[in-house]
Amino acid sequence: MTTTTDHPVQEASAAPPPAPGRSPRLTDRRLALVFISPAMLLLLTMSVFPLLWALYLSFTDYSATRDAPADFVGLGNYTTILTSPEVWQRALTTLVYVTGAVALQTVLGFGIAYLISRRARGRGVLTTLFLVPMMLSPVVVGLFWKFMLDAQFGVINSMLGSLGLGQVEWLTRQRTALLSLIVVDTWQWTPFIMLIALAGLTAVPAYLYEAASIDRASEWFRFRHITLPLVWPLLLIAVMFRAIEAFRLFDLVYILTSGGPGVSTETLSFHVYKVAFLGFNTGLASAYGILMVLVVIVLAQIYLRYLNKLKEG
Amino acid sequence: MAITIDEAVPGPATDDAPPARRRGGRGRMVVEVLLLTALAVAMLFPVLWMLETSIKENRDVYAVPAKFFGFDLTLDHYKDVFVARGGGRSDLSGSFLNSVVVAGASTVLATVLGVPAAWAYSRFTLKAKKDQLFFILSTRFMPPVVVVIPIFLMYRTLGLIDTKLGLVLIYAAFNVPFTIWMMKGFVDEVPAEYEDAAMLDGYTRLQAFWRVTLPLLVPGIAATAVFALIFSWNEFVFAVFLTSSQEVRTAPPAIAGLIGGTTVDWGLVAASAVVFAVPVLVFAYLVRKHLVAGVTLGAVRR
Amino acid sequence: MRYLQRAGHRSLPGRRARLATAAILAVTALAACGGGDGGGGEAEAADGPKAPATIPELTDDPLTLSFIWFEWPPAQALEDFANAEYTKERPNVTIEVNTVPNANWHDAMFTQFAARQTDFDIPILDSQHIGEAVTNGNILDLTDFVDENIDVDAYDPYLLAAYGQYPQAETGQRDEDASLYGLPLLGDTWTMIYRKDLIGDEPPETWDEMIDAAQKCQDENPGVSGLAFHQANGSDAAAVTYNTVNGVYGGNLWNSEDKSIEGVINDEAGQKAMDVLVNEMKPLTAKGSGNWFIDEVNAAVAQGKACIAFQWIAAAGGLLDPAQSTLGTTEDEILDTLGFATLPTQDADVVPLGGMGMHISAYAPAERQAEALNFMKWFEQEDIQKKWAAAGGVPARTDALESPEFLEAGPFNQVYADSVSRMRDMWNVPEYAQLIDIENTNVNAALNGAKDPEEALDDIAEQQQQVLDSSGGGL
Repeated sequence: MTTTTDHPVQEASAAPPPAPGRSPRLTDRRLALVFISPAMLLLLTMSVFPLLWALYLSFTDYSATRDAPADFVGLGNYTTILTSPEVWQRALTTLVYVTGAVALQTVLGFGIAYLISRRARGRGVLTTLFLVPMMLSPVVVGLFWKFMLDAQFGVINSMLGSLGLGQVEWLTRQRTALLSLIVVDTWQWTPFIMLIALAGLTAVPAYLYEAASIDRASEWFRFRHITLPLVWPLLLIAVMFRAIEAFRLFDLVYILTSGGPGVSTETLSFHVYKVAFLGFNTGLASAYGILMVLVVIVLAQIYLRYLNKLKEG
Repeated sequence: MAITIDEAVPGPATDDAPPARRRGGRGRMVVEVLLLTALAVAMLFPVLWMLETSIKENRDVYAVPAKFFGFDLTLDHYKDVFVARGGGRSDLSGSFLNSVVVAGASTVLATVLGVPAAWAYSRFTLKAKKDQLFFILSTRFMPPVVVVIPIFLMYRTLGLIDTKLGLVLIYAAFNVPFTIWMMKGFVDEVPAEYEDAAMLDGYTRLQAFWRVTLPLLVPGIAATAVFALIFSWNEFVFAVFLTSSQEVRTAPPAIAGLIGGTTVDWGLVAASAVVFAVPVLVFAYLVRKHLVAGVTLGAVRR
Repeated sequence: MRYLQRAGHRSLPGRRARLATAAILAVTALAACGGGDGGGGEAEAADGPKAPATIPELTDDPLTLSFIWFEWPPAQALEDFANAEYTKERPNVTIEVNTVPNANWHDAMFTQFAARQTDFDIPILDSQHIGEAVTNGNILDLTDFVDENIDVDAYDPYLLAAYGQYPQAETGQRDEDASLYGLPLLGDTWTMIYRKDLIGDEPPETWDEMIDAAQKCQDENPGVSGLAFHQANGSDAAAVTYNTVNGVYGGNLWNSEDKSIEGVINDEAGQKAMDVLVNEMKPLTAKGSGNWFIDEVNAAVAQGKACIAFQWIAAAGGLLDPAQSTLGTTEDEILDTLGFATLPTQDADVVPLGGMGMHISAYAPAERQAEALNFMKWFEQEDIQKKWAAAGGVPARTDALESPEFLEAGPFNQVYADSVSRMRDMWNVPEYAQLIDIENTNVNAALNGAKDPEEALDDIAEQQQQVLDSSGGGL
């Protein structure tokens, strides 16, 4: 958050030779300012300013609906949140969800990519088909899975029934409800990992395999020592992206379980929503949100570090 | 170079095919094909079921056990998406129209603001450029449900709650980081020497950008804009919290509103989901060459 | 409303520039901005905005009167009815009933109230929302208007109180000194729906008999479950279910005098009710019914999957639609199998009060507030109430409730008329949204085995008490 647009231009790029009879440095500096500042202004107004406002509110007992002026409560809101067992319970739920979903889609996504990369024909069609879930709106995905997972009329239980298996209460039992969220998220986002893993797999030069083949290396050896090291960095990026996205999850919970049964599938995002819009405890909800943003920023930092390492390596 | 689907696959059909195929034998290949088929069926089944439900009579929708075949076909659900029960335009079709306006306008805004900034970031050496770019990307990672609280307070001071303009602005703000990151990659691919040559011919830097680089960027801009369009089109959280009236509501909250009445018309839900998804799938197909960059906000390109 | 917002837009660039400047300034600068927003509200809640005793002069220019409600058939019925009938008297007026998803209903209204700018003129509040709206000065005080224009003797006093009075009325009564902030729009309560072909023509009379009948029916008819009722953790679904059983077994939700919940809701009767709900009723429901609300219960009944079901009357109309039902190909055939009855009694004779009243947004422009008052006066006339009944609405005036227009309009209308004297509401306090969420999630958890029922009830008592004691603060 320390960025300013005050001195965006230090010097012109070294590459272009200066055009004759002009002062390109000044022109470039002004041009960069003119080109960058509108976008920055929008981000400052719509992202930074609200965030600073939330930061200020997080130290107050302000409520958006009550006609009382805001009083400073210091770090009160933060201690309320960090010492609340309810919040830690949601954090645990979120952790289980993020870990489960991301692990499952990484394994599946990589597996599918690997299988596709070994096919000679129909790869384009296959890949395109696999990508469909990722393009759908979470609303559509949530609604439809709610219909399919319905214990009575849902097609999933109907199929289990014809296999001679009993009905499963997908959305109304503690364990299965969280599992259902993980399954649905995995269904939607496995293609994401697959797409990126596929990009990595193509980058493995064929001559490496040939060399290994001459050495009569085992298939596992080839996978472990040639394929994986080359795909790994890309896969890590994909995992980071998914982890951050999953951490923010709101819409799927809202539609699929609305946090139930009880509060057992309430993620942090969903809990913030309740604090903010049921009790209208705006100050408290702001502190909650700021803490979540901090977590996301830390994750994004880690992610970018990997990205840089990748670029350098 | 952005990865395309067709490139994203090694060419085993040629003579540098993976050795496994030569040695592993048919058995293994059959297993692999079966596995892939099973996975494809599992991934596509919900989509097919959605299509099927959208053309079923309501009483077949609730049939137990589920009817996979042999149901009566009807297109009534699709009619209901667009035409109100008593005739006239349905509320849902109004929401689709709102979605078109909001997603379209926010995409235009994000593109107009983002493309020049991306060019500047690509061409000039700026102070703390990496930090600036990281900052820009990080705004994209804030949980929407958190951002919506201060945005809500700000909008109510500005009178932007429940307006299309409010949605357009917030979507643009969410798409600008993406546009900058994605476009920077495209600009990087256009050699700076082209502009230098133009400037030697007497163009100013601005003219060089406008006349030389920009035309070369058009395909990239189109791809970037399509992704921004998809993000705005599918967005739910801001739409549901910042709008409430029929005149402003976009399609995602409208579709979510189809359940929670006294009866749920799953056929209608399915039909509207299909209608809602088709433009996205068509657009995604158009930009399939840039999918990897698109879904990673331009961070992964190679 | 569009006009108001346009006016807002005009000052936008200046505002935005100011905001952008502020963004770069330190946090202290924000204090002024945020604080100014919080402090500079409407008139004090204690003496909130008041409607005049007489209706001001109405405009003859075209005018759209906007309602906000949630998505369900009565909303469409109201829009059609008002546009057909009210325009006979006021041809320049168009009625628009905007709807939001049920789960969003409270948020949609109160976020706009919080913005002190509404795109609706007549919010249709749930009876328990009144406290929050009044405390924040969001709706007009109609006391003087009602005194002057409404024949209060034509109503059951509790109906008038439940949809308008604040502070909340004692169950069954109206406090004539308290202010009124709304008028009844749509009455509602639960009806018991039972399968005449499976359990006989006579409905069970006590709660215990009802459970026995459901058990017997379930045993005799494989594939059909004994009971279907609301269990979801959204809206007020699971909470109303518990509250109903609590009432039937003689419990109380709270003591409104000293605002105590702890020790009241979880007293012996309360525990008994929770026990009956979780250990006797829940086992008779369909597997996976733990997230059912209105539409799922309707679907179960229409698909012939439930012996006995409980449903809001206003939401039961769809059950008679042969297109949605497997119980018959005509409405008469369906009515041969489905019976509608008032709720059984046990230790006490209590049914849940549902339905909603009309209120007037304090932020609507004066000419539309005047039109809204005129609409209310028009709506509460005897003949209009009867027409509303015939159009599928549930009126509140006693004469309309007893009229053949109402009683013959639907098979469940007699149930409503018989239930009026037995109704009980929940807490009508500003903290309602939090209280209902606590109860919903805990009852839902108990019903789905995520929490021990006794523990769930004690948690409800403790957490709700905390919310009341801290006036809604805390998590």
